[in-house]
Amino acid sequence: MSFLKLVEKNIASLMLNTKFRIGFILLIFIIILGSFSIFSPPYYKQWYKLPIDQPPRLSTGVLYILGTTTNGRSVFYILVNAIINSLVIGLFTALIASHIGLFAGIGAGVKGGVVEKVIMFLADVLIVIPALPLYILLAMFLRKILTIYTIGLIISITSWAWPARQVRAIVMSLREREYMLTAKLSGMSLMKIIMSEIFPHLLGWHLANFTNTVLYSIASETSLAILGLSILQEDTLGTMIYWALQYGALYRGLVWWIIPPVAIIILLFASLYMISLGLSEYINPRLRKLR
Amino acid sequence: MSSRKMMLYILMRVIILFITVVTAYSLTFLLLKFMPLDAVDFVISQFITSPAAVYQDPIVINTLKEGLYDLFGLKGTLLEQYISFLRRVFIFDFGPSIISFPTPVTDLIRNALPWTIGLLSFTTLMSWIIGNLLGTITTFIEIERGGVATKFLQSIAIVLYPIPYYIMALVLIFLLTYLIPIFPLPGAGGIITFEFSFENIINIIRRFALPALSILIISAFGWNYISSRTLTLNIVSEDFSIYAKLRALPDSIILKKYILRNILISQITILALHLGMIFSGALLVEVIFALPGLGTLLYKAINSGDISTALGVLSLSIVAVSVATFIIDLIYPIIDPRVRHR
Repeated sequence: MSFLKLVEKNIASLMLNTKFRIGFILLIFIIILGSFSIFSPPYYKQWYKLPIDQPPRLSTGVLYILGTTTNGRSVFYILVNAIINSLVIGLFTALIASHIGLFAGIGAGVKGGVVEKVIMFLADVLIVIPALPLYILLAMFLRKILTIYTIGLIISITSWAWPARQVRAIVMSLREREYMLTAKLSGMSLMKIIMSEIFPHLLGWHLANFTNTVLYSIASETSLAILGLSILQEDTLGTMIYWALQYGALYRGLVWWIIPPVAIIILLFASLYMISLGLSEYINPRLRKLR
Repeated sequence: MSSRKMMLYILMRVIILFITVVTAYSLTFLLLKFMPLDAVDFVISQFITSPAAVYQDPIVINTLKEGLYDLFGLKGTLLEQYISFLRRVFIFDFGPSIISFPTPVTDLIRNALPWTIGLLSFTTLMSWIIGNLLGTITTFIEIERGGVATKFLQSIAIVLYPIPYYIMALVLIFLLTYLIPIFPLPGAGGIITFEFSFENIINIIRRFALPALSILIISAFGWNYISSRTLTLNIVSEDFSIYAKLRALPDSIILKKYILRNILISQITILALHLGMIFSGALLVEVIFALPGLGTLLYKAINSGDISTALGVLSLSIVAVSVATFIIDLIYPIIDPRVRHR
């Protein structure tokens, strides 16, 4: 109960931050839009069985409010399915990568020595390697077993590195503080120190990073999809753009097919970025003057 | 910094560069090794079914197979495989490509490379200069006199910052070739070559204007603007800038000598960290605009399952980004006296 109160209090004061508020409201709007996916006709999920050369139309009835594609599917339902699938990819990656980053960073910062050197070296190499070509190579091989979750795993391979670096920097600065020494001398176990003395300082930062990872992962999936390397039989924001481009939506003037995913991506990214900015300002008051 | 110290610094950086590249290749090797699919069979099956396979001669396929086994290091013990893989990627020998069969991968890459380097260096440099100048000057003016314009610029920057280049590219295509048809549609507008003639240069400019613009807008108004703004706000509240102000130095000197110089240094570090991301983004912009660069080569390679070409582009990307980061690190002591004296 008290925990719920705490969350409620924090969210209430977070909502005072303009960036967080705008981002949060936008995100809620997008999620509500995505939740229409429940009503989408099930045969849409196996859309590649539909005939492919039907003349695309614009707005004929409620179901076709955003028009149809070249195989007669409603753009609206593709869009809402795509939103949900893209968000699932983002959340899945963030759940894996940002937590690996968090624990690798804490481990490196607390342990020091060889463990730190190895983790940090690996992280540095992964930061320098251009991530996309690596994803591309992996996705090429794994094409046959590509699902929403394997895409998430592929993106996780490199996206833990940057958070790990940052977490380590924070932990290093915490390590030097007086109260850490007090905790150590009073005989607290390492695990307990991490949980009660280090973790609370990282929580806000971790949330901001979590949001960033969601953004990064959705962007990476979209990049892969544009190259035709995502799960092309599944609707995501990326594959939606891919198919629109494949069927020449730009050349044929089928603007209702290509604009919705592009618009939603811009809105979604802006909203996630504003949420993470708001969170950073909330945990670091010094940033607030930088409005 | 004495010349001996300088040499030591460069040597250290070269060693780190080398280790980074070797580790990156080793990771690639491990990933290829533990892939659940047999890479060679995968490539061969793609080759046989692809329209590029006019050479269905078994001898050709066998040579191809031999080359691939060698490339993926599937001969001999694990150590031998590893060394052979490293040797191949270091001397850029990826064997024949599949997309245009007998042509070696290296030739394809050599033809594509100038376009990518041109596009990337132009846009990175321009966006860095424009973004940083704009961010610093507008923020400085805002602090001194207050301003609504910066508020507006900043809202735009926040929206633009997280958007990938290729999304911006799609938006620009929609606006500038569909709504207001000024530029040619992607892929249209004549073939461009390396030939040095007036017509060809006009063609190149027409083809590259929109891609360059989409990268420029995002990276100038996105992270260059935002980070230089944050830095300016920090530097303005530092003791030395307050002192300069108390000395009644003119604003232009404070801006030039006190603020811009400091920002330059930090921004170069950030540039070095972002190079990988900028590079990947530019590859996708090339695909969308069908430009003859590395990105389009990669796209073609993917769509015909040509792993050797894809691996070639990947290794080149790793080396290119690491070397670019290395060069920036070398420039660093020249512009930052604090590093020089350490």
